[in-house]
Amino acid sequence: MEAVLAVEKDVDKVLSKFTGINDHSRRVLTDLIDQMNNLKEELENAPEEHQLTNIQQDLFKTSMTKIKDTVSRLAVEHRDLHSSVSKVGKSIDRNFTQDFAACSRENAFSTTEKMDTINKVICKHYYRQGMHDVADSLVGESGVSVEGYEKEPFTELHHISDSLKNKDFEPLLAWATAHHEALDAQNSSLEFMIHRLKYIELLKLGVAFQSEAIGYARTHFRNFVHKHEKEIQTLMGMLLFIPKGIDCSPYRTHCVPDSEMWLEIYEMFIRDACQMLGVCEHSPLFTCINAGCQAIPALLNIKQVMMQRQVSQIWKGTEELPIEIDLGPDNRYHSMFACPILRQQSTKNNPPMRLMCGHVISRDALQKLCSGNKLKCPYCPLEQSPQEARQIYF
Amino acid sequence: MADIKSLEHPTLKVPYEILNKKFRMAQKTLDREVSHVQQSVAQAEKCLMKNEVKASQITKHLDSMVEKLQVLKRKAEESIGEEINATNVCKRRVAHLKDQSTLTGGALTNWRRKRLDRMVVEYSLRNGFYQSALLLAERSEIKDFTNIDIFLNSSEVEKSLTNHETQKCISWCHENKSKLRKLKSTMEFNLRVQEFVELIRKDCRVEAVKHARKHFPGFEEEHLPKIQRVMALLVFPINTQLLPYATYFDISRWTDLIEQFRQENYRLFQLASQSGFTVSLEAGLSALKTPQCYSEHKESKNPACPVCNEDFNKLAEELPFAHCSQSGLYCYLTGLPLNENNQPMMLPNGYVYGEQALALMAKENDGQVKCPKTKEVFPYKKAEKVFVM
Repeated sequence: MEAVLAVEKDVDKVLSKFTGINDHSRRVLTDLIDQMNNLKEELENAPEEHQLTNIQQDLFKTSMTKIKDTVSRLAVEHRDLHSSVSKVGKSIDRNFTQDFAACSRENAFSTTEKMDTINKVICKHYYRQGMHDVADSLVGESGVSVEGYEKEPFTELHHISDSLKNKDFEPLLAWATAHHEALDAQNSSLEFMIHRLKYIELLKLGVAFQSEAIGYARTHFRNFVHKHEKEIQTLMGMLLFIPKGIDCSPYRTHCVPDSEMWLEIYEMFIRDACQMLGVCEHSPLFTCINAGCQAIPALLNIKQVMMQRQVSQIWKGTEELPIEIDLGPDNRYHSMFACPILRQQSTKNNPPMRLMCGHVISRDALQKLCSGNKLKCPYCPLEQSPQEARQIYF
Repeated sequence: MADIKSLEHPTLKVPYEILNKKFRMAQKTLDREVSHVQQSVAQAEKCLMKNEVKASQITKHLDSMVEKLQVLKRKAEESIGEEINATNVCKRRVAHLKDQSTLTGGALTNWRRKRLDRMVVEYSLRNGFYQSALLLAERSEIKDFTNIDIFLNSSEVEKSLTNHETQKCISWCHENKSKLRKLKSTMEFNLRVQEFVELIRKDCRVEAVKHARKHFPGFEEEHLPKIQRVMALLVFPINTQLLPYATYFDISRWTDLIEQFRQENYRLFQLASQSGFTVSLEAGLSALKTPQCYSEHKESKNPACPVCNEDFNKLAEELPFAHCSQSGLYCYLTGLPLNENNQPMMLPNGYVYGEQALALMAKENDGQVKCPKTKEVFPYKKAEKVFVM
């Protein structure tokens, strides 16, 4: 955050200076032009063969000097802004990493086959996003083919989400009513949230529409009483404050700006619909790129440390990333067993073994801990024979 | 926030470079116009130095002075206006990046989706998919945050190079002369050599000599040996097999020129040699890649995992695995984490599942549980606790 703020400060400074010099130069130059025009008028009123008096000559000389000084000062003033401008550049360089490619292996995807695959996953992503025009254009320009990819289920969803973006939720409401049972089975509150949104919109229209709001609540909320009783109470309570405006009532937290409410509904819809279709909420490309954005800062850091210690050659040809990257619980898709003794991930050749007492260590660790035909569990006092340990599968 | 620091350098640096360029141009314009004003002032002054000055003479000078001043005023307004526009581009991008820290939930996802779109736009531009890039930028409303303009500019140059024309690229070299000199670019020299070669190809050898006389002396200091070698081309037929001269007549040199132009253009704007998209994709695939994604057993794959997806699986083939020093275990049946609330239990065949799922299964099946992977059936009583540290 500081990085962005620092740059913002410098940009603002430049902007104000430019605006300043813009006003200043305009004013100064207009003044000069006016002055000249005045002098000219004075002369034009004089008779044809008039010769300048000494006073006039002096006057002209001084104003000539003035013009010379002012315009050259203008150019100098503008040149002086260079330091502020270049400060922005320096601030960007200082606060942001210049070469994020440092953590990547060169030519990771350089074969044509891989490049085609990349183009393919991008196309699939945009089909999923409902941006068929973008995907089609990319198919055309990159020459990949994405046959056999099901676009249809997403087409309907994106028709709905497009209308949502235009704040038209009739298609969504129709969809939600049609899939009422499936949504109910998923324990989704999407339908209720739509009605809630509509109701709040009515409330925002003010006193004139309050009976309409009540009418709306009566027709639509009763189906949801068993699930959303508390929420309905709150919603009805909002009626009390319509004359004063809900924004200055205890209910103002329920009355977030429109755009946020729409976005919330939109996200909820995408999540529920994807769950219904049995696909992940996000496209794999989206997940991957986000994971990458999370990983890159850490990778850059460790790379730098390795460079300083002059061990950067370890980077290449390793089987594993040099550090653990915590992507959060949402991004773990597989059970991972790391041996608590060796601090190593288990592999086919070094699988997890359950000791008699229930504790799990890797096979390599088990062999190292054996003395003769005896093994003491590293976590409890139980002594056992290593043959009694069993391989387990997560 | 760290991701912005690491990835968004080009997002800000490119508009800054444009601002800097605009500043230089504005300074040049101002200096030129100021000197025009001063010249006309000097003339007027000379006129005033005389002993007898006629009013009509001086009005003429005044007229020209007013005219020059007006030009200066107009040009100053125009150029400073452009500088302000360029600064505002920087400002808008900064504001967009700043947004990320205040957003949560759906809005944050939306911001990230836009980031992906920005990356794809850049990737497409780098790979020459200009139409798609433009379309995507428009659809996703991110035109202001992407560096489309400089790429479109360079696409024109590339197109002309593909048609074996050097003019556009030469004028690009002139536009960015000082910067290219700082980067020790050989672009212009290579273009001049290519022009020379083309003249020989057309068998206009005298023209070629004239061309060489005109352009090569400027590069004498740095490239003398190369110039000598190129000049030797004059004595060879164009179908010569003799190395290294034959290589100069190779048509693929144009492709090399295009590639060089691309790289120099990136360097000019301090763009990284690779696109942010591929770098992030690579890091992301590695961070998500586990040995299970490549297991022969189908059941250890997870359809929700991106790396288990067919295409991504191929892409990640040669990349390193994620590093893992802490166990993270999930129940295959429910996807819930295995911990003290959901004890991992081992069935007699060695497979481990969560207690909750097994208990439920046992309740519904008279105390019998079926291993979903091997389809064996066991009494639930035989399941044993597993302790993972």
